[in-house]
Amino acid sequence: MKRRILYNITFILYALLVSLQTKAQQPAVYQVKRMSFNWNGFSNISPVIVKDGIIFCSNRRFSGIQDRIGYDGRRLYNIYLAEKKDTSAFRKPKVLKSERNNKFNNGPLCFAPDGKTVYFTSEVETGKIAEDRNFKNHSGIFISELSNNGTELVSIRPFKYNNPQYEVGQPSISKDGKYLFFASDMPGGQGGSDLYYCEYINGDWAQPVNLGPNVNSPEIENYPYIHPSGKLYFTSNRPGGIGKLDVYFTSLYNGHWEDPLLLPEPINSTADDFAFVAEPNLQTGFFTSNRRNNDDIYEFTSTIIRKATCDTLVENNYCYRFIEENAAKYDTMPFRYEWKFGDGSSGTGPVVEHCFKSPGTYTIQLDVVNLITKEVTYNEKSETVEVTEIEQPYISAPDKTGTNQRIVLSADSTNLPGWKIAQYYWNFGDETIAVGKLVDKSYFKPGTYNIQLIVTTEPEPGGAVREACISKNIIVIRQP
Amino acid sequence: MKLNKSIYKILLLAIFFGSPMFARLSGQPVPGKDENIPFLVTFGKDGKTSWGDDDFYQIFFFSIPKDYTKPFYIRVFDPDCGGENDEIQGEFDTKTKFSVYGGKGVDPEKNEESRGLLKGLNYKTGNLLASKIFGNEARYDNKYYTFGPFNPAEGDYNARWNSNMFKILCEGISGDDGNLYRYFLSSDPNNDVAIEGANAFTYAYHFRMWNNFKSVSHIYPYIDTGIVYIRQSNFDWDNDGNIIVVSRYKQGIQIPISNEDNWVKSNIPIEPAEVGASLDFQFHKKQGDLVKNNNVVITTENQRGDGLPFFASPIGGVPVYQPKIKVEKVKLKK
Repeated sequence: MKRRILYNITFILYALLVSLQTKAQQPAVYQVKRMSFNWNGFSNISPVIVKDGIIFCSNRRFSGIQDRIGYDGRRLYNIYLAEKKDTSAFRKPKVLKSERNNKFNNGPLCFAPDGKTVYFTSEVETGKIAEDRNFKNHSGIFISELSNNGTELVSIRPFKYNNPQYEVGQPSISKDGKYLFFASDMPGGQGGSDLYYCEYINGDWAQPVNLGPNVNSPEIENYPYIHPSGKLYFTSNRPGGIGKLDVYFTSLYNGHWEDPLLLPEPINSTADDFAFVAEPNLQTGFFTSNRRNNDDIYEFTSTIIRKATCDTLVENNYCYRFIEENAAKYDTMPFRYEWKFGDGSSGTGPVVEHCFKSPGTYTIQLDVVNLITKEVTYNEKSETVEVTEIEQPYISAPDKTGTNQRIVLSADSTNLPGWKIAQYYWNFGDETIAVGKLVDKSYFKPGTYNIQLIVTTEPEPGGAVREACISKNIIVIRQP
Repeated sequence: MKLNKSIYKILLLAIFFGSPMFARLSGQPVPGKDENIPFLVTFGKDGKTSWGDDDFYQIFFFSIPKDYTKPFYIRVFDPDCGGENDEIQGEFDTKTKFSVYGGKGVDPEKNEESRGLLKGLNYKTGNLLASKIFGNEARYDNKYYTFGPFNPAEGDYNARWNSNMFKILCEGISGDDGNLYRYFLSSDPNNDVAIEGANAFTYAYHFRMWNNFKSVSHIYPYIDTGIVYIRQSNFDWDNDGNIIVVSRYKQGIQIPISNEDNWVKSNIPIEPAEVGASLDFQFHKKQGDLVKNNNVVITTENQRGDGLPFFASPIGGVPVYQPKIKVEKVKLKK
């Protein structure tokens, strides 16, 4: 009984120690910056990354004197292109014209993979009734082509699932062009606005499919964005977020949408944060937020370090095979080969295997017993074996874990002689990081994750900093 | 004074036995020193093969370096058949003929018949330089008979070895007893004085095994270029112990041995690194019941069936096994 209590106390102390130690620094993963082309006092939303810059929606004035007001008296959203001036600055945004500019909202939007076809949101009803100030016009998706000079949307036609009874909008097309995601409050959903997708089959968009209760909640889900990696980013005001509208992401795994995960601060804030888009490498991107009491577009930059080239962890191997090469060739040798491995253990045979317990210098001695004469030749041959650890950062972590299970990762066995290591940086392969020699981690989604451990030294004389990266895969399986 | 005389004697003995002359006095024996074989053996032609002689004759070749031009002698120890060393069958009634040949036809590399391995063909090739028949003659018992002097130029010149070749044939021309004898190639008719660079070899070794458990005899076949395996044939071993083949690359391969009056053959693979050197065939006596007076025959040939010579002084020296340890990492199992 006493032993059990002692064991429990020891275990709790150990857990506490590990917990304290593994409360490693969790640096901010993203940095955000408000874009220069936002216009205070007007809404600037729904960025789209294009080759020449950013396309976004804004209800700003066309110019100092030109303005557009809808039939309901509200300012109209239009689509603008902010061309890149250089790597950090943008030119003054220019409006993308269309026949709908004057009377209806234009945007949010997306481009099909051909770069020419534009899917954008606008009002469904364009007849006389739409001019009634009290008429509730619903949004729909419209398909158009970008003019050759890239300044106008032409050949506009409606999406077949638009309906004057409910909202359909905020399109996003997958990189293969086969799936169109959008938001809608059509009947049959989970409540509020839900996310749907249509599959492109035989030259036409098939019936919309609700993404189901794992993604959609009774609250608002909108602004879907299907990233080239297959991750689906969207916005929701569901409980559990940081505040108001927040950006979440999910992925399709074995035909099911995973439980959505909340993007961390500072992308999400206590204000509305929505309409997230990102470059293919997820290192930079844009989103909208009213954190400064104005709908503005922000750029985010990931501070996550992920090395393009990183060595794969090689397990230390202290196991050796010793072969008396000439003896191993023949099976009619009237001799017995007795090996002493220098660590107190021994083996018999022309070919033996032995695993040393730790690195060191071992003298291997071979004694041979002549089975005919019974003579023993002691130390007929000896070899010195240097058993060393591989010089590399070392990731001590399980090969496999379950979702939502806390695992501890350690860099304690790192073997880099002469290095004064200043930082152990962990990239867990799921856009999360940690810093420290001993860290903990939980994965929420099943899959195979490539963990990178990047170690950097203190500045050496002359200021040089040495860096080494090692990676290891971990398999996360779903745990109920 | 007595003490001074003793010291003087010791010093003289030390100088004598420690001098190169002593080394030369040890002679150039056949069987060779490294072979540790007590006697060669030839039975009278009326003997039984089961006594350990398959053909009742034995040929040994001597190579004399070309630059040795002085007379030389072949001394035969205990050439008679009778007395202390020889093997009696009933009574000693055996006559043994020793014949020395030189000149064209002797060199076994140029004349395969000369080796004496081809049954029915004339192995008495070359010019007969000397011969003598011995019976049961006490004056030769445990003593030498010396053939010679011979002029080295009377040999059959072999360019590869740059030597003049001679051979001595021992035949059991009558009777059934076993004649046990040894040779010494000497530059002196009365002493065993080795000829530097000379050697002796045979293609079919007929010899007597030791009558004790501990002594290990050896023979040293030479592995010439182009050999990938050799085939050994041993005769009438009476299942007496083990034959182990050793080289610089073989710690010891055990080969099958014959029983009473039969031949056993087996192949031995040759490593490329073994070419140009000698193998060491070791003959270990059977432990337990001692097999006495065991006479045996052994031959070797290459993969083409050409006989291989056994040199009394092994070419390249006595091969000593060199262990070779390879250390490799074992792949970790996931």
